[in-house]
Amino acid sequence: MGNNAMLEIKGYTKKYSEDKKAADNVCLTVESGDIYGFIGHNGAGKSTTIRAVVGVLDFDEGEILIDGHSVKTEPLECKKITAYIPDNPDLYENLTGIQYLNFIADIFGIDSAEREERIKKYADMLEITDALGDMIASYSHGMKQKVAIISALIDEPKLLVLDEPFVGLDPKAAFTLKQIMHEMCEKGTAVFFSTHVLDVAEKLCNKVAIIKQGKIIASGTMQELTGGQSLEEVFLEVV
Amino acid sequence: MRSKNIILLKTLWQSTSQFNILRHSKDKSKRGKVIGNLVGMAVLYIMLMAFCIATCIGYGEMGIISEAPVLCALTISVLALILTFFKTNGYLFNFKEYDMLMALPFEAKTVAACKFLYMYLKSLPWYLCISVAMLVGYAVYEKPAVLVYPIWIVLALILPIIPMLAAAFIGFLIAKVSSGFKKKNIVQSLLLIAITMVAIFSRFFIESMFRNGKVEEVLTNYSALTDRVSGYYPPAKWFANAVNNASWLDFLLLVGVSAILFELIFIAVGRSYRKLNSSFKSHAAGRKYRMGAQRQRGVLNAIAFKEFKRMTGSSTYMVNTIIGDIILLIGGIIVLFINVDDLIKTITYDSPLTKEMICPAIPLIAYFMSGMVATTACTPSLEGKNYWILQSLPITKKDIYRGKMLFNMYLEVPFTVFGIICFSISARASFISTVLYLIFGLALCMFSTAWGCVCGVKHIKLEWENEVEVVKQGTALTLYLLPNMFVTMILIGLIVFLGTKMSGDLVVTILTVIALALALLSYMRVMKLAEKNRY
Repeated sequence: MGNNAMLEIKGYTKKYSEDKKAADNVCLTVESGDIYGFIGHNGAGKSTTIRAVVGVLDFDEGEILIDGHSVKTEPLECKKITAYIPDNPDLYENLTGIQYLNFIADIFGIDSAEREERIKKYADMLEITDALGDMIASYSHGMKQKVAIISALIDEPKLLVLDEPFVGLDPKAAFTLKQIMHEMCEKGTAVFFSTHVLDVAEKLCNKVAIIKQGKIIASGTMQELTGGQSLEEVFLEVV
Repeated sequence: MRSKNIILLKTLWQSTSQFNILRHSKDKSKRGKVIGNLVGMAVLYIMLMAFCIATCIGYGEMGIISEAPVLCALTISVLALILTFFKTNGYLFNFKEYDMLMALPFEAKTVAACKFLYMYLKSLPWYLCISVAMLVGYAVYEKPAVLVYPIWIVLALILPIIPMLAAAFIGFLIAKVSSGFKKKNIVQSLLLIAITMVAIFSRFFIESMFRNGKVEEVLTNYSALTDRVSGYYPPAKWFANAVNNASWLDFLLLVGVSAILFELIFIAVGRSYRKLNSSFKSHAAGRKYRMGAQRQRGVLNAIAFKEFKRMTGSSTYMVNTIIGDIILLIGGIIVLFINVDDLIKTITYDSPLTKEMICPAIPLIAYFMSGMVATTACTPSLEGKNYWILQSLPITKKDIYRGKMLFNMYLEVPFTVFGIICFSISARASFISTVLYLIFGLALCMFSTAWGCVCGVKHIKLEWENEVEVVKQGTALTLYLLPNMFVTMILIGLIVFLGTKMSGDLVVTILTVIALALALLSYMRVMKLAEKNRY
């Protein structure tokens, strides 16, 4: 699969105070075509790391590179090729689903025909097309998650970053999302996502990193990490 | 049960308390902002108190200090009525933590009453500033008995309750009517605006009744004025009697009526509270969308459109934002059909001003209404929990703010232009003068937009529980609104004065250049702030 580094996190450190670090010297590399799982307990530092990767959160030390561009010094270059789906998609509730997707497409400068084709494709796959004319305020958590997923895919990103993407999705939509993630990997997109569901990580990812109290305590290919054991057993051993 | 209500009230208070942040936050910049906000509020309170004391000195020097209690009661009551009327929707209905609160073992009536009391506590410093300052002024000139002091203070705490209940009840009725419509927010906004308009024009009507019928009486006999006003609003009379005559009956009347009204209104509100909030919280989902051709917009227009939808999606925000524009629109139409000289006489209390003298001030008069609130002062904070969307998109902070400014221009310019054209036609201004007024008006809109954005970005507050905190009480909006309003009023006076000494068109041209320079400086400041705040 992987052949060139799409996301490089080098010594990333986020401090809340002098003695409290949310992330401590985190290092990992996600290559094109990887599906990279990021696992850890609640409060381990997964979301903090992800939010720094997508340029939402400032950080104190280290470097984060996306396709060779620094998140700190070239944020726009990074954001142009990255898409982010947060764990709790707080979308603009006063817009309809289609208005929100058009807003995102406008920001990325996607032309009318292309956006129509892509929105239709992913909305049909996630079975939400008929609800796109409704206000986002009327959506369930899962529906908002689906709109966030479509908005992330609309620009065909090189790096897809997802924070707990399967929470709130119905089984069919979760299956579709996994399918989409595989499809994107085949096209060379790198996928980096956090999850609590170890079974999903084990089946879906080719690489995994385990984070505990802000530090990476294990990382590598699934084979290297599990060595014949289940991911659950490895996780419980190391954390 | 009682203690449970107090816990709820205390928690509501803590959840938005600046002191709570100061006590528990470890973030130095956040603590610094809180201290800055508190200092800013203290300055405003001191200004208000100084104004009230100055008013009392005026009354004292004119020998009518006995009217101070009525003035105090009326000022507090009017302020409470206005503040509550525009806040009811965000505080009592359609608030964020509704599901969480209603899932707890509280009666609907209790939740509504606690929210009301929370609203009361939040506004209390304003009322206390007025009452304490006026008590000081009253004490200096009247030298009342010791008993008057506690009576005054206790009753001043009770005084806002009746007007607040009245405003909350009107808000409740509006919510009840609008909850039956599909576009609830729009209907609610229209009803709020309509009632505000009726109140504004009734004020002129009542004032004109006073002036036409009893001018001499009003000017020479202040007791008549007191009786007249007290006749309209008995709680003011009860307060004045309790203070001036140490009347326990009036004291008990004010306390008793406030308590009874509180109980009655919250029994009524409690009955429909769940139904009303359910209606506001649930949105009709048609699920009948068919994918069709999509339209592409530029980045700035896309942001401006998002801002438009944000505004129309919240009645609190919409009413606050467009009330000045609507007043200007109606005012513009009215002046086309009435004699401007008569209007000037009515508004300026029969002053010798003529329409020719007022002419150069036309752009500022229009701007006073259209530029009253700039959306740019609120929108950075209104992003709230949605801020991650803009933060993670490939778009610079500069473009985000440009988009927000563009929306304010889209909103402000048409109303300002319409107002200036109507006023100019009505005042028979020359073509050249009208063009100059329009250019000045546009320069003022630019300034308002950019200066609003400076305030909005500099005092951005993303963590809020209720959008009222941003739209009504935000530091950014206060810093924009109050100086803007006072400076505009002063400038109107100045421009009229200068217009009598030199060419009005020349004064307008000079002020246009100043406004453009200030707009440019503010715009550059916004761009600088955008560079500084990367996150």
